[in-house]
Amino acid sequence: MQNHQVIQDCLDQFDKGTLTREQLSEAFDQVLPRRCQDLLYLQAAETGLDVRLIGMRMLVNGELWEPEDDDWPYSCVMDAIKDGWRVISFPNMSLSLNENRTYGLGFEFILEKCQ
Amino acid sequence: MTTLVHDCEPTLTDRQVIQFCRDGYMEFPSEVAQDVVDRAIAFIEDNPDHRRQPVTLLEEDWFLEGLIFAPAVVGAVRSLLGKGFQLARMLANHDGKCPEPQPLGWHVDGGNMHTYALNYLQVFCLMQDTTEDMGPTELLPGSHFILGQSALVSHYGAIRGTKKCVGPAGTVFITCYPIWHRRSKATAASGTRHLFKYNYARTSPPTRDWIIEPDFDPAVDTREFSHLEHGGLFMRRNILDCYDAAHMYLWLCGLEREMRYLGGHTWPMPNNTDIGEMRAAPPSLSTTPDAWRPDAPPI
Repeated sequence: MQNHQVIQDCLDQFDKGTLTREQLSEAFDQVLPRRCQDLLYLQAAETGLDVRLIGMRMLVNGELWEPEDDDWPYSCVMDAIKDGWRVISFPNMSLSLNENRTYGLGFEFILEKCQ
Repeated sequence: MTTLVHDCEPTLTDRQVIQFCRDGYMEFPSEVAQDVVDRAIAFIEDNPDHRRQPVTLLEEDWFLEGLIFAPAVVGAVRSLLGKGFQLARMLANHDGKCPEPQPLGWHVDGGNMHTYALNYLQVFCLMQDTTEDMGPTELLPGSHFILGQSALVSHYGAIRGTKKCVGPAGTVFITCYPIWHRRSKATAASGTRHLFKYNYARTSPPTRDWIIEPDFDPAVDTREFSHLEHGGLFMRRNILDCYDAAHMYLWLCGLEREMRYLGGHTWPMPNNTDIGEMRAAPPSLSTTPDAWRPDAPPI
């Protein structure tokens, strides 16, 4: 139902004197749904957007999720971007300043979606 | 309590020692007899106060002989930790309930130190037939060379190339202490997965006194050092996996002073054995120990 129609229904019920608190609360939830940020952590083998991923975890609808075995939804960062994810953090290069010391897993991109 | 020092003959070969250096773990299927495992689990069930720290089992001869000092395991430990290695006075039981929809966070255990030295080993023993749905321990092979404290790695999730510690009851996994690990998620509808964890420590200086194979030459067969060439995950700068494994191997040989990072096609870069000894191999492993060797001061 369109937001406009939800509000119009509430107004109609108000005019009739039949609008209840519960109906108004439901209307709020429909018109102003709680926005929840989804996060996608991707660790790539190198800094390129088209490089093979070696690690992945998601926060979707407030729940942590990770793929099973080799059934991964994306093979590289670019695949995730094409699917609507927005990069909010690029790899921290300060972790790679010493070529003989490896800190952490690969090169980490953090992406988000807002639902 | 008796001093838990043990001695026996080393059973690992050069290749197996290098394999441990490279992968950071080694697996010994069904090494502890079923009756020993059953007896230990019965102790846990009869002594719920000791369920998570059943240290009193270390007072029991049947437990020490059957599990802690199981022959193939201690032969490997002897190879890696040298003569007269010691059991640390700790024994933990990680009892994981099923189901558990979320895996634990990736971590390295407290007290870890990233080093080429191998002064102690962390060991896991499966206390029942352990399958993937029971939430087995998951290791990341090669991660013992990656600098990352638990607080920095706990947000990681699925990682390619991990090893799930599944197998029959009595299967033992010897690990390099700072290897990354976690309990994977458990999808089984019910039950408890038990996992015993204990440590061995070195009491003698490192030396190459394990089994020397006549058909293996570490100055020539440098592919053994390569994690990538053995199916490992590309996690670091190219060839660094070889350097790190070789560095730990030389430390275990008591030859760390001979380790040099030279770059290019020098030891221990993966080698085609047809061309013979790799250039600039460590003197003690080389057929030309007195030859001049380059140095390469880092920028």
